[in-house]
Amino acid sequence: MPIDFRDIQRQVKSWGEKAPERERQLNQSRQAALDLFHRLSGQEDDLRLRVERALQENPALRCAVPTQEALDASFALPELTTRPVVLAADGSQINPDRHSAVEFCVVNVGAFSMRPKCPEPPREIIHSHLLDPEDLYTDRGLVSEEIVALHRDLAERRFVLDLARDMPGSAASNGAPEGAEPVPSDQAWQGTPTVALTDGPLELYQEREAREQPIFQKLFADYLDVLRDIARLDVVAAGYVDKPHADLVVRLLELWRTPEADLRKGARRSRSWIGILDVDLFRSILEPGERSALFAIQSTSAQRFQDELALHFFYLNVGRSGHPWLARVEVPAWVAHNPAALCTLHTVLVDQCRMVGARPYPYALHRAHEVAVVSLAEKAELEQMLIQELQRRGLPVGELSSKQMLKQLHGRTRYPK
Amino acid sequence: MTIIAIGRLLRASTTGCVVGCRVSQLDAPAFGCLVRIPLENGYQIYGLIYDIHIDDDGLVRQLVTAEGIDEAVILDNRHNRNVPAEVGVLAVGYRQNSQIYHLLPPRPPLSLDTIYLCDADELCRFTQAGRFGYFRHILRSTEAPAAELLAAHLRECHQAHTAAGHPEWIQTATRELITLLRDDYPTLMSVLGALSDIHGLFASG
Repeated sequence: MPIDFRDIQRQVKSWGEKAPERERQLNQSRQAALDLFHRLSGQEDDLRLRVERALQENPALRCAVPTQEALDASFALPELTTRPVVLAADGSQINPDRHSAVEFCVVNVGAFSMRPKCPEPPREIIHSHLLDPEDLYTDRGLVSEEIVALHRDLAERRFVLDLARDMPGSAASNGAPEGAEPVPSDQAWQGTPTVALTDGPLELYQEREAREQPIFQKLFADYLDVLRDIARLDVVAAGYVDKPHADLVVRLLELWRTPEADLRKGARRSRSWIGILDVDLFRSILEPGERSALFAIQSTSAQRFQDELALHFFYLNVGRSGHPWLARVEVPAWVAHNPAALCTLHTVLVDQCRMVGARPYPYALHRAHEVAVVSLAEKAELEQMLIQELQRRGLPVGELSSKQMLKQLHGRTRYPK
Repeated sequence: MTIIAIGRLLRASTTGCVVGCRVSQLDAPAFGCLVRIPLENGYQIYGLIYDIHIDDDGLVRQLVTAEGIDEAVILDNRHNRNVPAEVGVLAVGYRQNSQIYHLLPPRPPLSLDTIYLCDADELCRFTQAGRFGYFRHILRSTEAPAAELLAAHLRECHQAHTAAGHPEWIQTATRELITLLRDDYPTLMSVLGALSDIHGLFASG
């Protein structure tokens, strides 16, 4: 049955009637937040102390933490003398589905590399991994989508690490990653910095239930190890978040406004600007190409990223004059604390976004996504391959669930066809 | 003899086919060129390239809005991305048991068959066989721009035949066209107009 449009039309009207008042309130909050944001600039030490104090009362505190850079500072687009190698990796997955005839899970990772002034076309590389049957089940049953997502995130970073190792002049060389053609052996890129981009934050947000599983803890430990290895290669790693919905800086401002007595009453009590996002603050202060100040992340999951992995972020206006477009960029401490690496990353991201034209997004990341994405047709074909493999070996093949079969029924057909 | 493969077959019928090739391969095929599709047992289909088109996609549409496209992006799109250029080929004859026929082929080529450009020798062999029977396929086609296609084809043939010591070929071909189009004045004028645009085509005749 389609949507009951007669009924929904009434609700749409009511929704629209409330919109002006909602917008008025949001604008009021935005302005108040922005005023406080500017007022607190220069008081970064006091803000850090406030975070430490709140953390004593609320270990689950989630907010931004100022660094040495002024809260409302902006940094112009630097000029680079050396263009870096750009690596990007993105992944997609086929989650196991108990309704399908055969249970399987695939993690597909696509990578894309661009070398400066290289006469050869950029490289695209793909790696597809069918999970072993024993990895499909945990002690809690069929592997969850969160765990598969972690498999994918780990595979993305491993791919980046392997590609970075493969770059001439990298700190280590371990041969080409599986599925990749060897890089030309000339030394044209000797000493050229490497920037590695992945889509989404480096911080992995997982529900507590998933975090408590042994498999999660093992994969997460591997994830951190891979990030450390990337750091050892001096690769400038970053997670790029398009159209960010984060409110970490807004939460910091809210924390400042929260009366001391309320700090003990939990996080919810300190939320007075729900609906206001960080981009509401930075949109007005960042000119095209500019980045914001760096911030550290305070959260229970970010606390697992220690030392050189400690998570930081900044906002970056990758838009054009009159059309600001903000991205949030997460970097580990080894990048955040290295001004040259930060300048390289800043320039590369603006450069990559401008390659795509009016809708800015890093070109290399988009291409990695194109390489990695698994279509429904490919999923169906793979399922058939697995079924045939079982049949060839005389093994029983499961059946589609009745629910799934009914969903796949054709619609009405027209006589005489 | 240089053998130039220009692509592989996407779809076909007995009257023609569409060939897919990478954009980076596009410097070989040209409008009006004679191509061949070798099949089994010495059976080979001939066709004329009457259309070359390049589809866009969402990313390409987006990229054209960028200020100054990076060379790496151009290379990437031409070499890596799966957007084949499509080459339309009009069937004009076939060869079986070393005999060339200006008839439609008995059966079409199959998916992914390789398509090759004909060299000057083969072009001369095909166009000297019979009495220009393949012109009717061009003139009857509803998809191919007949006048322009004939002009491009005859120019290439003229160069090949002149080099082979047969400069008179172009006059014979033109007379045949006039005969075929004697009852179709508009098309005849269109064809002769296109032929007259070929600089120096008749200069040596």
